Amino acid sequence: MDNVNPLIDVRDVWMSFAGKDPGQPVHVLEHVSFDVRAGEFVCIVGPSGCGKSTMLNILGGFLKETRGTVRVEGAPVAGPDPGRIFVFQENGVFPWLTVEENIGFGLLQRPHAERAERVQHYLQLVGLSGFGRSYPRELSGGMRQRVEIARALAAEARVLYMDEPFGALDFLTRLKMRSDLVRIWQAEHKTVLFVTHDIEEAVQLADRVLVMSRRPATVQAEVVIDLPRPRDLDSPGYLERRDRIFSLMGMDAHGGGELR
Amino acid sequence: MGKSLTVWGALWLVLLTGLHGFLNLNWFRGATTGSGGGSAKFGVGFLPVTCHLTCPVTDYINRSTSGEGFYEPMRFNGWPELKEMFLGRPQDMPAAFILAPMAIALREQGVKLKIVYLGHRDGSALMVHKDSGIFLTSDLRGKTVAVPGRYANQRLIIYRELKKAGLTFDDIKLVEMPPPDMPAALFSRAVDAIISGEPFMGQTELDGYGRVLWQAKDVWPGFISCVLAVREDAIRDHRAEIQRLVNGIARSGKWIDQSMEHRMDAAEFVAKGYYNQNPRLLRFVLSKPPDRVTYSRLVPLRAEFEEIQRLAQEAGILAGTVKFEDYVDDSFAAEANAQVALDFEVKK
Amino acid sequence: MNRPASLFRATGKQRREILLPLLVGMLLLTGWHAAVRMSGSDIFPTPLEVLHGLVELAQRGLLLKYIVASLFRVSWGFSLAVVIGVPLGLVLGWFRPAFAALNPFIQILRPISPIAWIPVAILWFGVKDTAPIFLIFLASVFPIAVSSMSAVQNMQQVYLRAAQNFGLRGLPLFRRVILPAALPQIITGIRIALGVAWLVVVAAEMIAVNSGLGYLIIDARNAGKRYDLVVAGMVMIGFIGLILDLLVRRLEKFDEVRWGYGQR
Repeated sequence: MDNVNPLIDVRDVWMSFAGKDPGQPVHVLEHVSFDVRAGEFVCIVGPSGCGKSTMLNILGGFLKETRGTVRVEGAPVAGPDPGRIFVFQENGVFPWLTVEENIGFGLLQRPHAERAERVQHYLQLVGLSGFGRSYPRELSGGMRQRVEIARALAAEARVLYMDEPFGALDFLTRLKMRSDLVRIWQAEHKTVLFVTHDIEEAVQLADRVLVMSRRPATVQAEVVIDLPRPRDLDSPGYLERRDRIFSLMGMDAHGGGELR
Repeated sequence: MGKSLTVWGALWLVLLTGLHGFLNLNWFRGATTGSGGGSAKFGVGFLPVTCHLTCPVTDYINRSTSGEGFYEPMRFNGWPELKEMFLGRPQDMPAAFILAPMAIALREQGVKLKIVYLGHRDGSALMVHKDSGIFLTSDLRGKTVAVPGRYANQRLIIYRELKKAGLTFDDIKLVEMPPPDMPAALFSRAVDAIISGEPFMGQTELDGYGRVLWQAKDVWPGFISCVLAVREDAIRDHRAEIQRLVNGIARSGKWIDQSMEHRMDAAEFVAKGYYNQNPRLLRFVLSKPPDRVTYSRLVPLRAEFEEIQRLAQEAGILAGTVKFEDYVDDSFAAEANAQVALDFEVKK
Repeated sequence: MNRPASLFRATGKQRREILLPLLVGMLLLTGWHAAVRMSGSDIFPTPLEVLHGLVELAQRGLLLKYIVASLFRVSWGFSLAVVIGVPLGLVLGWFRPAFAALNPFIQILRPISPIAWIPVAILWFGVKDTAPIFLIFLASVFPIAVSSMSAVQNMQQVYLRAAQNFGLRGLPLFRRVILPAALPQIITGIRIALGVAWLVVVAAEMIAVNSGLGYLIIDARNAGKRYDLVVAGMVMIGFIGLILDLLVRRLEKFDEVRWGYGQR
């Protein structure tokens, strides 16, 4: 992979939506610039509703920026791309397909044997062996998110866009999902851009954390998390970086772990 | 899911189509109706009322003498459907038994048809509930009277009788009702009086709650309710078949009126094979009294139709824009009369 | 210890689902009988007379013939409605211009009773089986099309985005995502439409066909005082309607659509 030219290159992006009043557009993003290198795990944090999901949707090709340039893998984003898979907060696993069929969804062009093999591989990687024939409605929320991650990985996505994928899960499941995601990322070396409003989550996962401001949002700061994985959540290094992000967002770390 | 459902659905359709064909359409029973020239038969529309009795009787006689009818009697359950078929698909059903004023009205509205023969004479009665205090036409003042429809001649006979009693339509409440529903309406006293063709009037008598206020034959001798109407295209292109139909009707009318024995026979086979009614009911209306409904003198006469037209115009039902020769073609009737007279002469 | 308890529960459930309706049925029949007796009506039949009427129909072989005839017409009319209504609804739900162009007309045609269409049916199809099939088709195609349409319009956006993300478009997108995502609601529409189709069988057979349960009712009215047969026809229509509904309900149990019906 090319380390000089970034894989994702966002330059001075603006985004506004038509508001309730016709003449009063809502400005969501202003002057957003950042980049992501190949194989990097980058988290975007910011207050709820600041526009971080909007940025991710622009990268995913579901929205078109109002101004600025967005280049991914050397080309402007023209629309959704099978090499860059989105993992949705509300869970985009197809409920009418079994777990296996979901994971193999992006592989229908492949020969049957290869498809089966890949499906089994990723089923195992996300820890769902034995659930291949189950339907999503028979699984827990965490298991469904694993299916969605496996589906993205199986399709050989080079980039994963994750939009608060663990937001709807309970606390313990979320902790488990984080460590599993790190394990999977280390095994697969994908580029991950992960949006969350949970600062602890960002510091646990990312190589770099981009801190966005309130709306209209811009990238306010960048915090490098150069800590070895798996991370010790009590280490001074971890706590120092976490507290730095809290204070960047105008909050005291002792007031609570999450910013709403 | 999709595949197995499609297969089951297709199987279900095939199974039902086969069963329907077998049970209701006589498919797998040799060539009795399938290919043996049956497709060329033209339809004649009728309702299961005694005014149309000659239609099934003629067909029955044809079938029993030559093994096959030359036309297809098409039974309807109500006037609107029969009229729509007659108007909409004359290629399938060029002839039908319809109400006389309706035939004239259709002609006024530009439908190219001709009345070629009458269906019957008499055969209507005004019925009241046996416990009601209605004993004279004048007692109908303020009462509700059910008639079969706007263009029913029964409406005109009421108009005629009201006029004799010094009343008009404004003095009574007229409602339109399909004849099959009239007996129940009279029984439940939803209406005070009903009038239509038989056997629905006789039924109330037979079941013991209806009383005859008057019979059509007594107040308007030779009363005509229904006529045989034929589309002009068919008259032009299929003259021979129409003549054959009229001859058949003339002959079976004569046969019905010849003896009570014939009437009872007709009641039996028509009730069972065509009308799906209780033979007892048809026997009753064909015999009590014997001239309740008659099937002779079926030639359409100018004076009678002009009276119908005059009454209908007075009552505001017809516009009066057509004349007798516009809507009647009596050439078939004349020919049939000659033929049938000859037949019955020879037999005697 | 568990077994007798669960066995007992099973009989309790059975008691509820079989005995209770039976009990209510008996009460209704008794009430019906008593009402006819007390009113002294000679026209309205008692339940026993209706049963005799049914037996008479069965003995004459008419019952089977008429049931087959009605099922034949409803099956064809309804199948055509599904084959045309579902794709039409999907297209209208998906393509906004098609929706804008056609939806007003669907909404105008939808509330017109099949009875009003009888003249048109006779004009176009005469009085053979095709006319009632056409009427049944008309009655059921609109509920199916409308429910398919709104199923697509109300589809969860996330499925669509996920599918587009995997590069699906055109027909594969329809077949692999839009149709399955809309299917639970489509099946609900189909279930309602089958009820409607069966409901209009009486009206559809007012046309001069000479078989069918609807025809039985109309014919019995023509036949003088045979209201036992009228009610017999009504009873048969009711029972077959119940069976048809139970059959369609089974569609909702398929794994591909069960997710769409919540916890039942």
